[in-house]
Amino acid sequence: MFEGCTIKYNSFEGVNQSIQITYPANDEGIVYAKSVPLLEGNRDYADIQEWVADGNTIEEAD
Amino acid sequence: MAQIKTKGIANEVISGQTALAEAPADTDEFLVSDGGTIKRLDYTHIKSTAVTRPNVNPFLINGSMEVSQRGTSFTSNGYGLDRWTMDESSDGAVTVTQDTDVPSGYGFGKSLKVDVTTLDSSIAADQSCGFTQFFEGQNLQLLKYGTSNAENLTLSFWVKSVKTGTYCIRFVKEAGGLTRYETPIEYTISSASTWEKKVINLSPTAGSTSLITGAAGAIVNSNASAFRIMFTLASGSNFHATNNTWVAGSDKYATSNQVNFLDSTSNNFWLTGVQLEVGEYTSATLPSFQHESYGDNLARCQRYFTMYAEGGQAPVGNGLFWEAGEVFINCHLPTTMRLEPPTIYQTTGTDYFFLYRNGGADGITQLTLNASSSHNCVSIYLNAGTNGLASDTKNRPCILRAGSASAKFGLDAEL
Repeated sequence: MFEGCTIKYNSFEGVNQSIQITYPANDEGIVYAKSVPLLEGNRDYADIQEWVADGNTIEEAD
Repeated sequence: MAQIKTKGIANEVISGQTALAEAPADTDEFLVSDGGTIKRLDYTHIKSTAVTRPNVNPFLINGSMEVSQRGTSFTSNGYGLDRWTMDESSDGAVTVTQDTDVPSGYGFGKSLKVDVTTLDSSIAADQSCGFTQFFEGQNLQLLKYGTSNAENLTLSFWVKSVKTGTYCIRFVKEAGGLTRYETPIEYTISSASTWEKKVINLSPTAGSTSLITGAAGAIVNSNASAFRIMFTLASGSNFHATNNTWVAGSDKYATSNQVNFLDSTSNNFWLTGVQLEVGEYTSATLPSFQHESYGDNLARCQRYFTMYAEGGQAPVGNGLFWEAGEVFINCHLPTTMRLEPPTIYQTTGTDYFFLYRNGGADGITQLTLNASSSHNCVSIYLNAGTNGLASDTKNRPCILRAGSASAKFGLDAEL
């Protein structure tokens, strides 16, 4: 689902705010990214939760 | 000026006649003058030609394929043209484009085109290809699913394909905390590379079932996905079901008669003029496609996706330095989006965005969403580590703009 992606929390004052998904560059060399809210009902967040349930881990924020 | 009074009309124009009840019966007849000759007009004819939609705006959004905020050519799965998402899982590959090939004389300017770029001559049991529109539950309560008054639906569309044969539409009533029901319905493309108009009826009791009219057939009354329509192009046997019969379960993409559209790189498929109507219509009685202005169509698409800034110096928003190395930027959205907040969709890279402050500008690599955002306003948070922010004085005002021709900043609340 997220092959080759970087998936990392964004935080503010120590509290996670969103999750940054950075995709591999496409054929034109363009890198797409998403900043996903921690929100039930968001399909991107649901995909991340499924990815985590498969044993993957979200990187901590900088 | 003389006034025309209702009583005057009743008494003087057609004197001695009984006034028609507020709701005419099918057996009522009207008298009309055809060049001076009085003729009879059956009410059933008036009813069959009158547009009596219970909905003001089309249920199905961007059926004209005019709006495509993300671009005009897409090689990956996911959303391309607004509201339409491709899901291809075969050994082949397709490209989706916004095209100008349309049926002539019907007022359409754009179509959705699927081009097979890598063939798959044999679809495995667990493979498929198709594109889908999802519907928000709170917009579909008038279908009265989950009751014995559940409405019929009619789906109509213009289609053209190099490959003829049997194709399927997959209808899904999402679970929404109850039960998910699905049915595929077949249609036939008869002539290669020729625009054909199709009209498909979906009964709440399709296949003599009572699933949709039962309590578990109700549509969730929220902003969640409650219904979907998929145009299937190929389907493995794991996803086959009986034609036009509601069944509990998931992934009933097609019947076993579905063609394999991916069997040749010569295959192209076009679609436009997609409309979903409440009621059972034939090609003779179907109301006209509800053409919208581009602005109205775009505004309805923007509830689900908004391309906010794209290329060049496009403004993203204004903000200030919260601390020396931290900035908040607010972006006010053109419409209330489905989710609070939506996902930020963007391209990233060196100098893709610029932060203007104190007579200078600094490159920003990517944008990150802060949780203090809403349906109407998105808050972007920037710092040195994640975004490449340069330090400045606390409380300094600043402006964020796109900096690269390839820069895109959008908000995504799709279903």
